[in-house]
Amino acid sequence: MSLTRFLSIFQTKVAFAHCDIPCGVYDPHNMQMAAHTIIRMTELLGKVDRKDEVKAEHDIARITRVKEKHGDLLEDELGTLENDYFKPEHFSEYPKLKGLFEKGVKASIKARQNIDLTACEEALSITQEIAEIFFKTKGVTPVRVKSVYPTEREIVTHK
Amino acid sequence: MLLTRLKISGHSMEPQIRNGDFVLASSIPYFFSKPRKGDIVVFKKERRLIIKRIDQVKNYKYKVLGDNKKDSLDFGWITRIDILGKVFKI
Repeated sequence: MSLTRFLSIFQTKVAFAHCDIPCGVYDPHNMQMAAHTIIRMTELLGKVDRKDEVKAEHDIARITRVKEKHGDLLEDELGTLENDYFKPEHFSEYPKLKGLFEKGVKASIKARQNIDLTACEEALSITQEIAEIFFKTKGVTPVRVKSVYPTEREIVTHK
Repeated sequence: MLLTRLKISGHSMEPQIRNGDFVLASSIPYFFSKPRKGDIVVFKKERRLIIKRIDQVKNYKYKVLGDNKKDSLDFGWITRIDILGKVFKI
């Protein structure tokens, strides 16, 4: 048995080795876009044409892959903002913030595990709340505008 | 964490450990000795596993840094209880 194969029997976890560099470039846009994408993919899963089963399976596989990928992205972006951008003083000033991150990750996992538009909506709503707090900590006024995405839901930006 | 395989996400431990590398982490070495300066350790912060190298040891506290020190900031001090294991490159 090769070393690689032997080691593969152990559970693999992800360890992070970043954010030593104070780039200061943080933006809640990516997580919102990811949340919109998982909503859109969930909607598309409900619209798959079943007339041709092979084509339907193919489409489901592709749509699910994108949903999964953007769920991962959403969770990564939540983690980056939580661990790298927001500081203890932000969590003190906005006591709800910590819980929003926890709920956001859970909603994203639920959205990935199921075809669950409610979970997707919850994930988006949480990213919007976090985005509003983010912009407040930057000293700008957050605003909700209707997105130009097919989801036709809102996105939070700033004045 | 008796023995765990970790996949690395990020560049702060380059050049020794690169983004996407697999490493092993184990608490067993620290059953017999304390973490020392130079050890690469894994610890938990805000639900995430983080790997860094111990740069200083003072009063049972450990200052950890990434190897990729160019433009890097101090990550800060952690305590012995935060350290889950020693990291070995496969």
